[in-house]
Amino acid sequence: MTTESSPSTPVLEFFDLHKKFAVGLRMKKVEAVRGVSLSVAPGEVFGFLGPNGAGKTTTIKMAMGLIRPTQGSIQLFGGEPERLEARARVGYLPEHPYFYDYLKPTEILDFYARIFGISRSERKRRIDSLLERVGLGDVRNRTLRKFSKGMLQRVGIAQSLINDPDLLVLDEPLSGLDPIGRKEVRDLLVELRRAGKTIFFSSHILSDIEMLCDKVAIVHHGRIQSIGRMDDLLNPDQMSTEITFRASDSLLGQLKADGMEVDVLGDYMRLRIEGSTTSILSTLLEGGAQIDSVLPKRESLEDLFVRGVVQSGDTEEAS
Amino acid sequence: MKALLRVHAVASNTWREAIRNRAFIGLMIVAVGFLFFSLALAELAVRGEAARVVLDFGYFAISLFGVVIAIVMGVILVYKEIEKKTIYTILPKPIHRHEVLLGKYLGMVVVLVIEVVVMAAVWAFVLWARDAPLGMDTVMGVVLILFEIMLIASVALLFSSFSSPVLSGIFTFGIFILGRLSYLVSDMLVSSKGIFVNTPSLRPIGEVYVAVFPDLSVFNVSQDLLQGVSIPAAYVVASGAYALSYIIVFMALAMLLFQRRDFI
Repeated sequence: MTTESSPSTPVLEFFDLHKKFAVGLRMKKVEAVRGVSLSVAPGEVFGFLGPNGAGKTTTIKMAMGLIRPTQGSIQLFGGEPERLEARARVGYLPEHPYFYDYLKPTEILDFYARIFGISRSERKRRIDSLLERVGLGDVRNRTLRKFSKGMLQRVGIAQSLINDPDLLVLDEPLSGLDPIGRKEVRDLLVELRRAGKTIFFSSHILSDIEMLCDKVAIVHHGRIQSIGRMDDLLNPDQMSTEITFRASDSLLGQLKADGMEVDVLGDYMRLRIEGSTTSILSTLLEGGAQIDSVLPKRESLEDLFVRGVVQSGDTEEAS
Repeated sequence: MKALLRVHAVASNTWREAIRNRAFIGLMIVAVGFLFFSLALAELAVRGEAARVVLDFGYFAISLFGVVIAIVMGVILVYKEIEKKTIYTILPKPIHRHEVLLGKYLGMVVVLVIEVVVMAAVWAFVLWARDAPLGMDTVMGVVLILFEIMLIASVALLFSSFSSPVLSGIFTFGIFILGRLSYLVSDMLVSSKGIFVNTPSLRPIGEVYVAVFPDLSVFNVSQDLLQGVSIPAAYVVASGAYALSYIIVFMALAMLLFQRRDFI
């Protein structure tokens, strides 16, 4: 494949992207994306995190040429995103992908491969390999109308890889999958990352982003709330301590009387303390409690996400 | 060359969609049944008129079903891509939007050609069974039907590039009717009496009508076939060029609208 960009050129860049839509009969203007700027470096796994309705899909569709920005610009491999040479290096998985349901997985992949101009023998080789890779080898001759949502998601992932892309743009790649499917796709993404692929993917599921990404942008109400490397974004300082213990009813009553919020989980109890734990640990031990664990808690992506969403003044849409 | 391969990929997928569509297959069966029905209808005809019945009825059936399939396919093709979101997996790939639309149209043309050829073959059998005239003029008549439905298909595709199937269907059928009646307006414009003479202020409307809408009557030669009038090859070629000029305009408009569209 042609590479006109240098190895350090960002693979994907957004410059002050805006998108306004006219909604309803009165054509009321709604701004779905309000000044998104970011840069994805080669080989990076970039997470685009935000609640439903934050503007993630609209931003991705602008990058893929499905929607035109109202303002701002996009660079793909250091050039205009409309160039066919640039698009030939991209694999895209839309959110909730749909396919021609009268086709079989082999036929749909062949169709997409033909658009890329891949030769017949190479098409066959890639399709066989990809169907095995996404776990659809056994249903290769079944029409897609008989596929479950999770199976269609796998077809979607396979089609996004048919051109052996340098950049993968995945919109909610793990949605619609069962736990085993999620793990398989996560493993596949890790494998692709090892192979040097650049991955830009959106999700509203924090654990996916936390597990896979080098860099993350948190988007809400069409604006980026936080952006940076995971290590830089998350506060490394210990925020609280979680103590799990077993105690008598009288000690539990005493703790509650002291104003502590104790979660009772069957025989176990759990406390979350901010600051020093010396005093509470003494109280527990003196009261005859059996301490099972004392876990320091640092800021998680969830904490950061909630902080960002709360700061922007709206928690309703957060999921 | 690469562009041709991309257009071919879309066109062959469109063809595959049609032949795997039960509604299309069902419509084809009804269309063929309609032609055979003309044999039964011919039994009821006055002596000596049976050949005329199968000739007229068959020509009408090929034209009717061709137009219906062109409108239905044309208005659904692009809409379905957008509604079912299959377009989201195509447009980000290295293919121009106009190539997608051209591929869709050419795929549809292949379907229409095969539909017309199948119907024409059945019609030929019916004509032969009733000793009706069957020759080069009949073939020319079928070719003219094909030009007309290819033109109608481009109109349907134009409307479906920005409108819903129901509205696109109504608009396309409207253009078909206006096109079929265009010759009447042309006649009125050159006539020494009639509405344009009585009300001269309406004349510009008639002139715009004739200038904008294709005159679809040029493709309807059923009366010539019935009367045994020969249809010259030059006339068919000229009609083909006339259809092609409209197809190019409608497709260019469709591509322009499709190019500017946001796929939300």
